Amino acid sequence: MSPLPGILKGLATTARTAMRPTHTAEYPDVAPDLPPRSRGVIALLEENCTSCMLCARECPDWCIYIDSHKETVPATTEGGRDRQRNVLDRFAIDFSLCMYCGICIEVCPFDALFWSPQFEYSEVDIRDLIHEKDRLGQWMATVPPPPALDERAAEPGEIAAATKPARGAGLVGGAGTAPGAGATGPGARMPRTVRPRPAGTGTRPPTPREPLTGTPESVPDDTPPAAGPPADGETR
Amino acid sequence: MTSELDVGMGAGGLATADMVLNIGPQHPATHGVLRLRVVLDGERIVSAEPVIGYMHRGAEKLFEVRDYRQITVLANRHDWLSAFSNELGVVLGVEAMLGMEVPERAVWLRTLLAELNRVLNHLMFLGSYPLELGAITPVFYAFREREELQAVMEEASGGRMHYMFNRVGGLKEDVPAGWLGRVASAVSAVRRRMPDLEALIVGNEILEARTRGVGVLDVATCTAYGVSGPIARASGLDIDLRRDDPYLAYAALFAPGGPGRVVTRSEGDCLARLQVLLEQVHVSLDLADACLDTLAMLPAGPVNQRLPKVLKVPEGERYTATENPLGFNGYYLVSRGEKTPWRLKLRSASFNNVQVLSQVLPGCLVADMVAVLGSMFFVVGDIDK
Amino acid sequence: MSVDLPMPRVGPVAEHAPKPIRVVLNWGRRYSLWVFNFGLACCAIEFIATSMGRHDFIRLGVIPFAPGPRQADLMVVSGTVTDKMAPAIRRLYDQMPEPKYVISFGACSNTGGPYWDSYSVTKGVDQLIPVDVYVPGCPPRPEALLQGIIRLQEKIAAERVSGAAIGARQPGRTRDLDQRYAGHRTAAAAEVTRGLVTKP
Repeated sequence: MSPLPGILKGLATTARTAMRPTHTAEYPDVAPDLPPRSRGVIALLEENCTSCMLCARECPDWCIYIDSHKETVPATTEGGRDRQRNVLDRFAIDFSLCMYCGICIEVCPFDALFWSPQFEYSEVDIRDLIHEKDRLGQWMATVPPPPALDERAAEPGEIAAATKPARGAGLVGGAGTAPGAGATGPGARMPRTVRPRPAGTGTRPPTPREPLTGTPESVPDDTPPAAGPPADGETR
Repeated sequence: MTSELDVGMGAGGLATADMVLNIGPQHPATHGVLRLRVVLDGERIVSAEPVIGYMHRGAEKLFEVRDYRQITVLANRHDWLSAFSNELGVVLGVEAMLGMEVPERAVWLRTLLAELNRVLNHLMFLGSYPLELGAITPVFYAFREREELQAVMEEASGGRMHYMFNRVGGLKEDVPAGWLGRVASAVSAVRRRMPDLEALIVGNEILEARTRGVGVLDVATCTAYGVSGPIARASGLDIDLRRDDPYLAYAALFAPGGPGRVVTRSEGDCLARLQVLLEQVHVSLDLADACLDTLAMLPAGPVNQRLPKVLKVPEGERYTATENPLGFNGYYLVSRGEKTPWRLKLRSASFNNVQVLSQVLPGCLVADMVAVLGSMFFVVGDIDK
Repeated sequence: MSVDLPMPRVGPVAEHAPKPIRVVLNWGRRYSLWVFNFGLACCAIEFIATSMGRHDFIRLGVIPFAPGPRQADLMVVSGTVTDKMAPAIRRLYDQMPEPKYVISFGACSNTGGPYWDSYSVTKGVDQLIPVDVYVPGCPPRPEALLQGIIRLQEKIAAERVSGAAIGARQPGRTRDLDQRYAGHRTAAAAEVTRGLVTKP
């Protein structure tokens, strides 16, 4: 059997392809056009962080380091009560360990963490891959706005929650389901099999949910590790 | 054929001693770190034993100390070419144990992404298998198509390989505006350019000479070893969980008149395995188009469920099997009501598919070993877990 | 099993090599990095993607046709290093001729990454061999590898050809270690003699 026909056929394809323009991306000269959701590096908006430690605890790799201390804020009004707030001393992500899953960004209740598509931060010394909070803050400038959702998508949880009149709606009719969407049924039967965290581990059911602009002062919190506001479920 | 016989006789009938040849773990011809211990008589393989474990990362043990969301993002890494299908198995199992219903939109989006992932997986092997046979060119065409599809996958999920887009109850978030249109154009671009890749593979006399009749695997051995996926179908074992035990939206897609069909061959040789892979790409592209059509008609709706802060799976056990691109992928989940599984056993396709090498390789020439090895379409992480 | 391929020298005058010579030498090393892909896991696929038409690192002088470690200048460790695999990595690294460079590609080979708590995974390939550039990501995108390569090329361009700088790379010499290894390491794995890698 002569191999000639197959070779000629392949050569014809090669010749055809050689006529077409190349699809090579000239990376160092031309910056790649990355989609906004691309998981490149995690940026920190320090003002939004309440050092609640949720991200550090949920991280599968334990690659987030947070140190904080409490400060007492004197009462602003006459006869008011002094408040305590957490001050972030250290926020570091070890990008040599990070598995880029984005769980920290999902669980962050105050939107302090964001994905940036930047990827140009390889290092000669592995210790430089631990980005402290100032370096994480610098990535904020590269965070793109989130893309618009598909026209048939449900209303995003944030908007649904913000436009909802009453607070503390709880699990029923979750924000993930748009009004008028047919499939709200399963949400109602979940509590039987899926239990919320048992009492005693920091459940704080009817905490008024602050809007997402909540500043650190707005959380009168004295137990940082248990400060998970009850609304983080909807971003999942 | 006569020359092959002479070579196989071992230096023209001279008495030869068996030689043990160790191939791997790092060897250019074994994509990945599979090691083979081969006993040779002349150039003829007398026995072969795959030595595995060079990529054993203990994923099953790690699952036991991670909650279900963390498992989902870790599970896509054992078979890195079918990341989406891997995470799918985990979340389907958890959802079944919770009795949770997934919104219809999420079901169809998952099906679409799973099929795109299947195309990505198959393209990788359609490129790498000729490469192992000595043909360098096809892999460039395969990766051009892969880049096309990876771009849309990244746009939706943020990752090029590890999507981590599944969550218990649906998907992480909805897809960006206009994404479905871009998927449609990517799918049609891949379909339009597939003939380029096929021109280099299909009907090429050299490739056929290297693969036809080589490494024949019969149905009995397939069932004995639990071989599944495209390799089993190339031997004539007509089994595909998408049709036989449908999950996601496959029941509708594989219904009579639907675009889904199970690709089988009867020869069971390396060429048949390659042909099954090639044809499955077309089937998967058709399935992706069908998913896109359905998604365009579905009413607006959510893609995920609202979950409690701590997700606990009720006590019990369940085996969830999915048809991964490489074969059956199963998760045996045993829960004791905790937020982590008590045990999550992983049944991976490549593990079984590679064990059959000890049956297929004896009798082959050592020069054919690479052809047989490559045609088993395995991922080393999927073997060793 | 290490190969006795000493660092190529330009003679005794190398110590006092004028700058143009260094520039030419480093320029040659920089743009003809024959790469040996130690493909282990997911990241290996992204490495292949980088070598394909779309990203094409031959543009940067990285040549992926090294037949084996003995003909390679650069080793890219892409993927999870397991304890079972570790001796093979060490063995292949020892077979590479000087000057040799290593890029650790991805979280798994940087530190163990997602498998940081696994019983069978080596927590970073730099426990076995010295690493020049760490590329973060899981897996890093192909452009990240290109950027890591550019980073390595900058590092090579800044290298000195003098005896001291070369000596720092040789086993048993501890001068100038800070230049090559992360400062917290007093010795790299290459300087530790183990039974496996001694000459027969």
